[in-house]
Order: sequence, then C-alpha cells, then structure tokens
Amino acid sequence: MKSQPGEKHQVAFEFREKLNAIAEGFRHNYCYQCGACVGDCPASNYSTGFNPRLILLKALLGFADELISPDSEIWNCTNCYTCSERCPQDVRPVDVIIALKNICIKEGKAPDLVRNVSDAVLVSGITTKMTTLMERRRQEFGLPPIKGYPVDDLKKLLAGD
Amino acid sequence: MKYIPFFGCMMATKYPWFEAAVRQSLARVGMELIDVDGFTCCPDPIYFQARDKMEWYTIAARNISLAEDLGYDIVTTCSGCTATLSEVNLALKEDETLRKEINRRLKRINREYKGSIDVRHAVTVLRDDFGIDRVEETVTRPLEGLKVAVHYGCHLLKPSRVMRVDDPDHPTILETLLRAIGAEPIHHEMTLLCCGRACITDSIPEHMLGDILDAVKSHDADCMGLICPTCFDEFDLGQIVLGRKLGKTFDVPIVYYFQLLGIAQGMGTEEVGLHMHKVKLDRVFDVVKR
Repeated sequence: MKSQPGEKHQVAFEFREKLNAIAEGFRHNYCYQCGACVGDCPASNYSTGFNPRLILLKALLGFADELISPDSEIWNCTNCYTCSERCPQDVRPVDVIIALKNICIKEGKAPDLVRNVSDAVLVSGITTKMTTLMERRRQEFGLPPIKGYPVDDLKKLLAGD
Repeated sequence: MKYIPFFGCMMATKYPWFEAAVRQSLARVGMELIDVDGFTCCPDPIYFQARDKMEWYTIAARNISLAEDLGYDIVTTCSGCTATLSEVNLALKEDETLRKEINRRLKRINREYKGSIDVRHAVTVLRDDFGIDRVEETVTRPLEGLKVAVHYGCHLLKPSRVMRVDDPDHPTILETLLRAIGAEPIHHEMTLLCCGRACITDSIPEHMLGDILDAVKSHDADCMGLICPTCFDEFDLGQIVLGRKLGKTFDVPIVYYFQLLGIAQGMGTEEVGLHMHKVKLDRVFDVVKR
C-alpha cells in the first residue's frame, strides 16, 4: 500500500458504494481480513505483488487509484477460485475482483487485451477466429460445418443497457 | 440418453480433432448428441466476465435457453464453457431478481431463460449417468502401461459450490476415468495447479507452467492428460514458447482425455488428431502399437 505509517486516510465510502452496485461486488463487505485466501493462491505464490487479502483491504478502504487501473494487480488473478474455496465469509474474492474489473472497463481503465478479446465476441460471436484452414480441418475430421454465429442477435440483446 | 453438446469456440476453431474424438467416443458409450444451431461463445469466463458481468449472464442465458427449447441437458467439453454455463445457470436458478432482469433483456430477441436443464462437463456425465463400468465396456484396446500425469484444471472443480463434481482438494474423477481405459494415472504434486492462462503478465503463468512440466517429468509420466482445450493450448504450444525463452526442451506430450478414450475404443491415432500436436506423442504411439 502506498500510504506511509502514521498517515491518515478517510475511508472512501463512495467507492464502496460503486462496488456494491456491480454484480457480486457487495461481497467485499463480508471480508474480515483473515488471509485464508492467500495461502493457496497461485498468483500470490508465483509473484510478490498479488495478494487477494490486500486487494480486499484496498476495496474496503476505497483505494480506487490502486485498484481501478490497467496496471492494477487485479489483472493477475488466475481465476482459479481457490480463494473462494478457502474463504470462511463467502466473500468469493474472485467475484469481487471481477466486479473491480467491470468498473475498470466502464471507466476505460482496463488493459487493451481484455477489451479486444471481449469485443471479438460482439463482432464475430466467438473469441477465436474461424479460418478457411480450420473449416477444411473440420471437414477432414468428419465434422459438421459451422453455420455462422448470430451476431445480430447478440447486438440486439445487449442494446440499451 | 440424449444431450446437447456445447463445444465452444476453442474446440470448434482451433482443435476440431478434439471435437471428433468427443463425438465418436461419447457415441460409443451410448450418449446421443443433439446439435443445436445458434450457440455463440459461452461467453468466456475470464475476459468477457471481466468486461460486464450482466452482459456475461445475458449471453450465457441465451445459449442455455436454446438448449432448453429441446429439453435436454447441456454437455460441455471445455472447462471454460463449463465454468460460464454452470455458474450462470445456477445463479439464475437461485436468484429470482437476477433471472427477471436477464429475462427482461432476453425478451429483446424473444427468448426466455426457464432454468429447466443442467449443464455438466462430459466427464461428469460419463461418471454419473453412464457409469465407469459402461466406459470400461467400450474399451477394446486398453492403454496398458501408459502413464498419464493428471491435470485437472480449475473449472471442472471450482467453485465447488457451483460445480458440485468432486472434492476440489482431493478429486478422483479423472484418475477413475483413466483407469477405466487401462491407463495408469499419475497424481503429482502439481496436479491441481492452475494453467495460468488468465493472468495478464507472462511471468506468473511461465513459472507455473515450468513447475508443472518439471513435476510431470520427474514422475516419469508418458504424457499429461487433461480435459480443457485452453489448458491444452497453454501446455502444448506453451511449452514450446517457454522452452525457446529458457533454452530448454520440456518434451512433455499433452493429450485431451477424449482422444485417449477414443483410442482405447479402437479409433486410430490420426482420427483423434494426435499427429496435430506440437509436442510429439511417441510413447502413446508405442502403447497403441503393442
């Protein structure tokens, strides 16, 4: 955390309210900082920067600057859900981290990769690309052709939210 | 018994030979797959969920509703699709307010999510609906002597509140299914580690990948067996990329479980696409020839 010992902070409740309004974001309120989420977290074990307990603490204190950024540690979550298995408070840390990511996207502060991959779904209906080579491969393996993806349906579905 | 297969983007567009192995091997067990037109990306549980959770629920609910029209359960063959469709299905079944909101959105395309079916990974359907004995009965060429290092991947098991498949800390489903086809499962110290695909930086997944591959090698396994095309991508192509960076050759062949099942049922190694892998599977070929 960037703050120095002795430095005083106000809890930024407006940030917590913002997080509460995102799907599953309210779960951060249940965290009592026991740290059960940390021990088996692979991103914690394989880096010095990632720590789900600290991410939750920053959320509780409302440290938006450190959480809502394309360089935030939240983007190194492996999404393995081990923390959710360990948490005695049903915080579901992965889901809180996902809610934080949703705020990043809304505020234009997500890494380009995340934006690009998720945009692809709305452009082509899938995250990957169907190529003529793969169409041929599907034939070679005796598979039915892909009949195209209903992109118009997706556009209509998401219009207006 | 009839099921609706949800193959997902990765398998359809990058690993069609996995789809071929799934279709044929499941048919031999007696699973009748009814294809549904109009599925999109599940959508993916990492990037798309990070984008907007409500949109993620909405698109997944649309996919589930297409299967509901036919009334059969969805069978998944990718852990990512399993994660998304299972979690959304449970969330919408449990939370009436959320279901109403998602149905308000689905109405724009005249669809409705009803909550009338289940979503399960194919390995779960094999174990629970058909039984290990039935899988064994279909084996004509037991893969005796083939040591397969098990890699679970995260989303078959976790969150266990949603998946309800096995003990997330001590699972046995894949070991059981490997024994059913005559192979010897190797449970190593990194069996339950994540593939790391979701991390934005390279260094975390690279170190995880290195540790997993080293563990597989130290147990003298012939190959690593898994059930998710994303994990496969990470380990097959991934070990070549990492090996170049480190000046090291891992040489750990990776197989998708349904390829092994198909081979054990008599399918040819080319029919299941073993020749398409980046890391060559000499040991598997040796066992098949014997």
